[in-house]
Amino acid sequence: MKQPQGSSTREAWILCLILGIIMLNFPFIQIFNSGKFLLGVPVLVVYFFIGWPLSILVIYLFTCQLERDDQDDEDRGDS
Amino acid sequence: MISAQVVALASLAYFALLFGVAYYADRRREQGRSLISNSYIYSLSVAVYCTSWTYYGSVGRAATSGLDFLPVYLGPTLIAFTWWFLLRKMVRVSKEQNITSIADFLSSRYDRSALLGAIVTLFAILGIMPYIALQLKAVAHTFDILVYPTAQRGHSLHSLFPALPEMFDTAFIMALILGLFGVLFGARSLDASERHEGLVAAVALESLIKIIAFLAVGLFVTYGLFDGFGDIFRRFHAQFPDRDTLFRLGEGAISYPNWFTLTFISMMAVMFLPRQFHIMVIENADERHIKQSMWRFPAFIFLINLFVIPIALGGLLFTGGDASQADYFVINLPLASGHPWLALLVFIGGFSASAGMVMVSSVTLSTMTLNHLIMPLILKCKFPFGDYSGILLNIKRLGILLVVLLGYFYFRVIGESYALVNIGLISFMAATQFAPAMLGGLYWRRANHKAAIVGLSLGFLLWFYTLLIPSFVLSGWLESDILEKGLFGITLLRPLELFGLSGFDIWTHSLFWSMFFNLAAFLTLSFFTRQSESEALQASRFVDALGESHFISQRQRISRAPTVLEFVELMSKFIGEKQANASIAEYLAQNNQEINHRGSLSDDEIPKLKTFTERTLAGYVGAAPARIILENYLSTRGSRMEDVFDIFGSVTLSRTASREQLSVLYEASQIVASGNELQQSLDDILGLLAQQFKFDLCVIRFLDDQQMTLTVRSQQGMSSEHFGESERNLDMTTYIGSAFLSNKPVLVNDCDYLDKPTSAAIIRREGIKSFAHAPIVIEGQPVGVLSAFSRSSKGIFTDEFVALFNNIAGQVAIAWRNDQQLTGLLESREHERELEIAKTIQMGLLPANVPHVGAIDLAGLCVPAHQVGGDYYDFIGHSDQALDLIVADVSGHNIGSALIMAETRTFIQSQATTLTQPHQMLEALNHFFYNDLTRAELFVTMFYMQYLPENHQLRYASAGHNKPLLWRKSDNSTSWLDAEGLILGIKPQVTFEQVTTSLQPGDILVLYTDGVTEAENAGGEFFGEEQLEKLVRRCTGLSAEEIINAILQQIRTFSGHHHFKDDISLVVLKILEQQEDTAHISTANPQGEPL
Repeated sequence: MKQPQGSSTREAWILCLILGIIMLNFPFIQIFNSGKFLLGVPVLVVYFFIGWPLSILVIYLFTCQLERDDQDDEDRGDS
Repeated sequence: MISAQVVALASLAYFALLFGVAYYADRRREQGRSLISNSYIYSLSVAVYCTSWTYYGSVGRAATSGLDFLPVYLGPTLIAFTWWFLLRKMVRVSKEQNITSIADFLSSRYDRSALLGAIVTLFAILGIMPYIALQLKAVAHTFDILVYPTAQRGHSLHSLFPALPEMFDTAFIMALILGLFGVLFGARSLDASERHEGLVAAVALESLIKIIAFLAVGLFVTYGLFDGFGDIFRRFHAQFPDRDTLFRLGEGAISYPNWFTLTFISMMAVMFLPRQFHIMVIENADERHIKQSMWRFPAFIFLINLFVIPIALGGLLFTGGDASQADYFVINLPLASGHPWLALLVFIGGFSASAGMVMVSSVTLSTMTLNHLIMPLILKCKFPFGDYSGILLNIKRLGILLVVLLGYFYFRVIGESYALVNIGLISFMAATQFAPAMLGGLYWRRANHKAAIVGLSLGFLLWFYTLLIPSFVLSGWLESDILEKGLFGITLLRPLELFGLSGFDIWTHSLFWSMFFNLAAFLTLSFFTRQSESEALQASRFVDALGESHFISQRQRISRAPTVLEFVELMSKFIGEKQANASIAEYLAQNNQEINHRGSLSDDEIPKLKTFTERTLAGYVGAAPARIILENYLSTRGSRMEDVFDIFGSVTLSRTASREQLSVLYEASQIVASGNELQQSLDDILGLLAQQFKFDLCVIRFLDDQQMTLTVRSQQGMSSEHFGESERNLDMTTYIGSAFLSNKPVLVNDCDYLDKPTSAAIIRREGIKSFAHAPIVIEGQPVGVLSAFSRSSKGIFTDEFVALFNNIAGQVAIAWRNDQQLTGLLESREHERELEIAKTIQMGLLPANVPHVGAIDLAGLCVPAHQVGGDYYDFIGHSDQALDLIVADVSGHNIGSALIMAETRTFIQSQATTLTQPHQMLEALNHFFYNDLTRAELFVTMFYMQYLPENHQLRYASAGHNKPLLWRKSDNSTSWLDAEGLILGIKPQVTFEQVTTSLQPGDILVLYTDGVTEAENAGGEFFGEEQLEKLVRRCTGLSAEEIINAILQQIRTFSGHHHFKDDISLVVLKILEQQEDTAHISTANPQGEPL
């Protein structure tokens, strides 16, 4: 069971990496590259400074999953 | 403005703190209670990525060109997604291979190529040196700003120490102190693969200080000077509406390709900058720390960037739009707004950012320089140092100082003319050149060293030409028209529009061309050139690092192998005696190795020890030098690594050996099973051995029981009076003798080492390089020896081969045993045939017909229990006068009995005419046979009867024989005829009683041997006389032959089986009425076949 789990996690990581690269590059950011302002702050700046911590949050959630996988492995190893 | 004393004092105090923390961390490490082994410290130390370039430069960039400071930090956040796979793999490999630096990593992966290590080191120095200069510049400059904003640059320290020589400016002092720090905490020992916990602790503390300082100034500007983010942006928009492009992409200075380029090179740089590699990989204490740092490190760089734009905009608002000093807004804003203490904190933070980078980079570059530039030179020149370890450590320390000072001189020469952020990106682009070789090395088995060397070199050449030179020219440091006219005036070669590619910014242009050449060469050469076996092995160690797969063990041996002690001595030269002894002892203990009488290990273990030695040395001096050291050492001793002769053909050994072994064994067993003559089988097996394994000679010897020598039975290959034909004595002075006597295979993989002089003399004379003897064993006992000799190769006999060789010896044993059994079988068949002949002859001795004597019905039968027997019956007619009936039983059922029986018959037949009375005959027989019977330990019982048809008289004598049964028709009575007489062969002179009786027609006389009455049934009961009597009474109406058949049938029914244990003989005489004159004569199946 470990193998499929590990490889699916890896695929999820790579998917996120690719998504991240897409969302931080042309043409995706063109959406926010409008020169408009949100609460006085340019929308593009808001996008980056909200998207960035969100992506860090995604990594955090992933590491929690990794932690759980490891825990499961150890439990399995113990039993 | 703050007084120079305060700034200097604060700096010194901070230095002291760093030294203290580093010292404490090192102490804790020595005590085994690591201070830094947790993911917080690890994440903080990885933040060495954020240098003064981030600290000051990001604000400068944000103020001048806008959002393009961001990709440099977004890239690392993105690549952090891969850390659990990519970074963990790098860490795993590096720990396993004792990697010391990124140059070592690449060199180690690619065939431990010294050239590759040197190239990487050179480029790293070239790429990083400006970066170090940049850090020194930032510290010196901010120091000046803090103390004398308007004073002569770089000499504010002189206000403090007027005696300070003019040439020693702030940056120089700073460089000295940082160098000293690097020496103290980065070069405590030579073991570069060892972690430097003091250094890491200091770097982590610096990261903490720099983020606190930056957040403090950010909060101060955003919420102290202004009223939050919105307020700053609104004011900026109001004051500089034309500068809104700062927050746009694609239209202003930042094109999308540029944006992508910056993201990409940042992703690569955070992984492959030498200092990042050092902190993230070499200094990693536990790969589990990577997990948490995957989000903590991005979070760190997010926080440190949070206030970059507000500070930049605040600075612009503050200066009225003047961006010329934008790089120093961070420190200028607190100063200008009258908060010198905050400015001091900012200075300390900036100093931290610089110091961390300089310390780690100097240690890293120094290690790389020592291991990949200096070591190969030292080894090449073969300086006659007894002990290198001390010298090397000092070279390393000197190297650290030198790197920092080089950075300083770089700063002095061109530093002033350069914008901070550009230098950083130039370094990033240089680090990006490592990416194909690094990633390919980790994930692509075929990537090879030629590809890496050419790819990297091309990449750096392009980097130099399209980025470094244009930067120099553009900043005015280099006067040249190369940008307009191209190299040698060729427009196609214009560095910024190479081969006519125009329309891109300098970064994208450089990235495209450098990566294009780098990748193209790397991929193409990897595809079209082959790896050596050792490189492929090393490649699999890297590619499979996280997998479970087992590496193919290197099948090599060392001729004239060094002893263990010699390995220790070699290591001592480079890493010190104590370390060398400790590591070898640990290795031997871990691997349960025992040193043999030559002070060495077994042939198979020595290459492993060599690998261990090399890897240990690699931890100190790098992979390539370690390899050179070992190779030089072995070659000066005359030792050589030899590929183990690939005994199983071209296929790689361990994985497929079993299949190859099986096929050879299969062929051998086919030969054995073919049932050829033994000689043919032996010749064929040897032929197979010689042909499959290219032996020069194969011999089979068997033990000669009489001579007690091993005698050649078969041989294949070269013939020689010393080898093939000669016998071998059975003693321990020869290898073959000891193989036989100890019943164990004996192999010599290198005939340079022989400890049996008798064998050595012969073997040397014949030019044998290696040989093996395997005993041929049957049921645990050796019967011979199988031998193989090679003149061409040493080290043929691997464990696998010996196993196979033993098996083949086993096949020879089977062939030999089969042959032995066959011979036995043939012999017994021969014997049986002889017995058959004897049987035929013996049966022929029994009477074939009945003599014509009166009116009688006579039949006789003999059924021997075995081929030949001792029973005998006979009829002898004396014309018409008399009929002699004889029944005898010679003890035993063998040839001896048969001979006696034949002799008895001869005697009786010859004497019957002269000895007319039964008792005379028995007496004569006894006398005649006494000696023969005694000698043969045999005896004979006999009943001799004479019937005279004239008067129906019957006279008889008995030599201890079973009493015959007489049935009288007249009164239907039965009686047992008896006469006194001893068994023949007991006494030399015996007198036999002769009894006379008369018979009447119809009377039946039954003579028999003890096989009849003593026939046993399953319960052990005898057939007995009583049963015989009853049977005869029932059969009186039958003919003589029918009576015999009836008796035989009854005995068979009684005993329950077809074969009798004892010979059975029966003679039935029936007196016929006178009118039935013609005698019924039959011989009742004299062959004795079952009826």
